[in-house]
Amino acid sequence: MAELKTRNVSFPRYAEYNCAFKYIVEQALGCKYVMPPPLTKRTMELGTKYSPDFVCTPFKTMLGSMIEALEAGADTLLMTHGLCRLGYYGELLEQILRDLGYQFDFINLSEYDMSKKKEYIRVVRRFNPKVNYARFLVQFMEGLRMTEYVDEITAEYYKNCGFDPSGGQYQRAYQDFLTSMYTAQGRADVEAGYRAAKRSLQSIPLDKPQHPLRVGIVGEFYTAMDAFSNLELEQKLAGMGVEVHRWMNVTNQFLRYGSGQKNLRVKIRDLCQYDMGPTSTANIWYARECAERGYDGLVHIKSAGCTPEIDVMPVLQNISADHKIPVLYLTYDAQTSDVGLMTRLEAFYDMIDMRKKVL
Amino acid sequence: MDKQTITIGLPRALLYYRYYALWRTFFQELGMEVAVSAPTDRDILDRGAALAIDEACLSLKIYLGHVAALVGKCDYILVPRVSNFGRQRSMCTRFESTPDLVRGVFRDSGQEFLSYEVDGEQKKTEEDAFLGLGKRLGCPPKAVRRAYKQAKKAEAAHHKARVQKYDQQYRHDGLKVLIAAHSYVIDDPYMGRPVTDYLKRAGVIPLRADMADRDTALKKSRELSPTCKWELSREILGGIALRQNDVDGIILLSAFPCGPDAMVNELIARRVKGVPMLNLVLDSQSGTAGVETRLESFIDIIRFQEGKL
Repeated sequence: MAELKTRNVSFPRYAEYNCAFKYIVEQALGCKYVMPPPLTKRTMELGTKYSPDFVCTPFKTMLGSMIEALEAGADTLLMTHGLCRLGYYGELLEQILRDLGYQFDFINLSEYDMSKKKEYIRVVRRFNPKVNYARFLVQFMEGLRMTEYVDEITAEYYKNCGFDPSGGQYQRAYQDFLTSMYTAQGRADVEAGYRAAKRSLQSIPLDKPQHPLRVGIVGEFYTAMDAFSNLELEQKLAGMGVEVHRWMNVTNQFLRYGSGQKNLRVKIRDLCQYDMGPTSTANIWYARECAERGYDGLVHIKSAGCTPEIDVMPVLQNISADHKIPVLYLTYDAQTSDVGLMTRLEAFYDMIDMRKKVL
Repeated sequence: MDKQTITIGLPRALLYYRYYALWRTFFQELGMEVAVSAPTDRDILDRGAALAIDEACLSLKIYLGHVAALVGKCDYILVPRVSNFGRQRSMCTRFESTPDLVRGVFRDSGQEFLSYEVDGEQKKTEEDAFLGLGKRLGCPPKAVRRAYKQAKKAEAAHHKARVQKYDQQYRHDGLKVLIAAHSYVIDDPYMGRPVTDYLKRAGVIPLRADMADRDTALKKSRELSPTCKWELSREILGGIALRQNDVDGIILLSAFPCGPDAMVNELIARRVKGVPMLNLVLDSQSGTAGVETRLESFIDIIRFQEGKL
């Protein structure tokens, strides 16, 4: 019998989660993973060139990243389903790539009814018909744990990295952690990498004032988390000496509250009666949470044309007015410039810094 | 009469164009008054645009203008939340957020809003939603149920009559152009009406992709796009699939920057071949000269291709 060809699977670059995709594809599904090259200006140019004009920016980023993944040798692309326009990304991405002449296999989760468990097995079998289900489950859970570790360490990093007096030691420890996740081959590697990161981040002495400036980040699921897409907003803000807090990540949004965010809605009942869209509940809840905890400011991040986030903005404006918390609204498109962002951030920083001294 | 009649305000925008037969009949059957805002004009758009987030779509800006026009003039303003009718039968997320968005924008106005929730995936049906609506307005359940039944009948009859009207036009001689647009774009006097008016003046028969039997269109839409998730877009896709061979051209008409249309229209342009197509995006410009120029050249191209120019 002819040997089944192993798939070379890829998924577009997405924040620092590609280590977990890689782990799950290789360890759980038994395929090869093709890491798409890091996002660059070229990625955006490719994506923008072939995308419809006013589609949301993550579509353009993902299209560019998929083209680069195909160039890097991927033969199978995966696209997820989703609650907003994301749920239609797959079909249009595939059509555009096929029209360009690329040849590949496309696994589009929107074609499956992902509310049914049986469908998951069908998807898994498409990747690898000979998959060992026991191994798949164990390794898949390990991949999810890696996601949780990445989110935990990332949150800790942006909270503290602005107060590292050593000039780069903290950042190096974070980079080492990411490297260990991107190269992990098994559970032992994941656990060791996590522990080492915890230890090294905690061992670096920080120079933090008793009441540092604290800023909460809310916003759209892709742009708020992906450092390339938001022009490293969190690093820039932290670099000014700010504690940066972001609740929105895969762990919180899917792994902990995946089955509905009813408990988050309790606290924001007066602001919204219904669920206003995919990430709205979490964002409104967290914005109010930050306001009540006395944070100095909020940054709302979205890509141009993100309908759910545009609709959340009136509610955020009300929170801002009620709790007297400044909100910086940022919209990113393929042309947003680094310098423009820096100017706005500096002005925002000066303002919240001044308020803190006065109040 | 023991109590004053309740007046329900219906903003003449967004889902109004899809549901007005349903809404009017339902409330009138229950003995309430219905107040509809005046047709869209520049003033309504300007008021809405001032209230909306800059990046919101033209349709929402117009909607907010209509709500503003009704505020203080009725007991309740109806702002429903229609999320989906089941799997891959979603609405744009904007229809999920409108009630809370409107409440947020008008929270200092003292106006009461009325909403109902349709969410097929959460097993919240339209019927239950209307029963709840009647209950909230203090009507006896039996009367509410009867009113809903009547309203559904009126809605079906109304849609059928419109479909028939358009079906007849296919038999007429003349250049036929199929317009693929949401009802709240094409029916709006400020957005779509100038387009259809111009086409009629130019001797073209404007037809509508969304004017087809809805169940047939939903099924047929799968031929063009198997995973399309928006109910309204699927009706349009289905309408195109049904009629693409009966028309001389297709106009993809959308309001800037409509989320679903940005993607679905791209897909239509890539998959529907062999018929001239114009992608027309409407924004809040005050003049119609730009739109007319594009329509004129599109009609010229069709006539030229068919050897009639």
